Amino acid sequence: MSLVIQFLSQIRNFIRKQDGDSLRSWLQVGPNSPRQYHELRAELRNQYRQSGLDNIIQKCLPDDEDDEVEGEAVPWPSLVTFIKEYFTFWRDADYDADLVRTHQLLSTLVSSCATALTHPAYGAMLLKTSMSLSDVLARLTMTLNRRPELTRQLRTSNDDESRKSIAESSAEIIQKIFTACLNDRSSDRSSPPKGKRVAIYIFANLVLKLLFACRRIHLAKMIFFNLGANSPPLSLYPAAQRVTFLYYLGRFSFSSGNHYLRAANCLEAAYLQTPPRFTSHRTNILTYLIAANILLGRFPSASLLQRPESRTLAPIFFPLCAALRGGDFISFQAHLAEHEDWLLEKGLLVPLTHKLRPLLWRSLARKTFLLTYVPPTDSASRKAATLDVADLHAAAVYVQRRLEGWALANNTQEDPGTTLVPPPAGRPSRLRPNEGLVWGNAEVTPDHVELQLATLVEEGLMHGFIAHGQGRFAIIGAKAKGPVAAGWPSVWQSIQERRYEEDYNPDDVPGWVRV
Amino acid sequence: MASETTKPAETAAAPADQKQQEPTKPTVLGEDDEFEDFPVDDWPDNETEAAAQAASGGESSKHLWEESWDDDDTSDDFSAQLKYVDQRPSPTQHSSQSRCL
Repeated sequence: MSLVIQFLSQIRNFIRKQDGDSLRSWLQVGPNSPRQYHELRAELRNQYRQSGLDNIIQKCLPDDEDDEVEGEAVPWPSLVTFIKEYFTFWRDADYDADLVRTHQLLSTLVSSCATALTHPAYGAMLLKTSMSLSDVLARLTMTLNRRPELTRQLRTSNDDESRKSIAESSAEIIQKIFTACLNDRSSDRSSPPKGKRVAIYIFANLVLKLLFACRRIHLAKMIFFNLGANSPPLSLYPAAQRVTFLYYLGRFSFSSGNHYLRAANCLEAAYLQTPPRFTSHRTNILTYLIAANILLGRFPSASLLQRPESRTLAPIFFPLCAALRGGDFISFQAHLAEHEDWLLEKGLLVPLTHKLRPLLWRSLARKTFLLTYVPPTDSASRKAATLDVADLHAAAVYVQRRLEGWALANNTQEDPGTTLVPPPAGRPSRLRPNEGLVWGNAEVTPDHVELQLATLVEEGLMHGFIAHGQGRFAIIGAKAKGPVAAGWPSVWQSIQERRYEEDYNPDDVPGWVRV
Repeated sequence: MASETTKPAETAAAPADQKQQEPTKPTVLGEDDEFEDFPVDDWPDNETEAAAQAASGGESSKHLWEESWDDDDTSDDFSAQLKYVDQRPSPTQHSSQSRCL
């Protein structure tokens, strides 16, 4: 008896018994499948024409409802199509010579599996097969994603389907399975998931992995929306699935619309649910959790930065926080430049470069106040505590000069005017827009400084008002708390106390189903 | 035609064993994904910090973060440089500019 016929006979037995585990064991597609699969391939290539093969499949897997025995399943048309695609895959796929073609064949196969899975009575027996096939498809896709030279030819084609990246098209196919699982009605939303619903987050996580790999993060929005509308609570799923999902949801919130509070909520939940032994997972989570918290004015503590998972992160984030504390733009820019490649690869360079500027200005203003403020000698004085805008402007001009390459000279008591000397080439360094205090080499004017102060007041990061006529920032509440504490409230507290439009609640993250 | 000893039906019970008998092929499916699959699907809460955090109402994870980080120290180098700058009567008289430009 030929291998093809033996194989089909066994498949039919498994279908009759609705034996999903055996179907998964048999319907292998990986490059390291046992020798028999390669022999099956040889037989398919040498002994069958397509029409003859189709007839044999049809004969071995008759989708005839009359044969149905109570308690047993019978093949159904989309299953027969799936098995035909399975043989086509083994006949034509070649992991060694043509990965792109193999990906196309596997995509077609997984797509037909997704269709067969939707059969209302018997589809669920293919759930485990769907998982294993999708897993191989995702891993093959990630491999191709790292080898653009193989897929370049596809992208030069003009039709829309081909213009999609390989990762995006794989994500779409697996998303079909995700949708089939989500729409299964075996259990209601509040009870422990049954049937296909047990696999909702397995497929969601695979799709998210691919969308992040091909940098099409915005396409994840529909997944989160659909989960929010239909999924059982995330807490009913195994820990690995919960953590992986919260990691991607946190990164989505971080990257889309700058929802740093939401991102921090998701990522902190992911971090705290990951046991310490999974160090690399904790490092990945912390990369974004620390960044989100810094943007929210909450810095990693020394004890967090000493943990094993922080070993590679501490040299990045510790100096960054030190620069923010001191309002030291010069160290801040130098440190970003030093780690630019890593920050860019992680998608952190742009948010950290731009969104931390208010914190730097706040600290620079605070430091300038500490250096210049002279408390009134008369304790009954009603004079307001103020920061002279001109002082902050002088500090800002100094910082800009340093950024442009002016160097510190040996300033002495006798000649304090030589604090800065021009750059060695005699001309200021040409700064990129993000490297200057305002915009590249643009001169910092008093108006810029006043605007920055007004913005900080508006955002609640400084407490007081600008007395424009006097060129001063006047602190409110200095008598009660002291001028520094009153004028520069805690950033984290200020952000926590912000009030939003009615329909925005940072604690409620779309896609995270809690109860 | 395949012999009886090689039919897939006989390998169904132990596909994993069969796999191990195959010569190892160079893998084409990358395993260096950024956020790798966990080696296990589930673990008890008591292996994590989440349970302690829930029991303490969030207090137990507070030591991980610094919410008050402002720095009142003005003895560092950057402060020393600014101190000099802030002694200038006005920015237009900033000596470094007037002297060097």
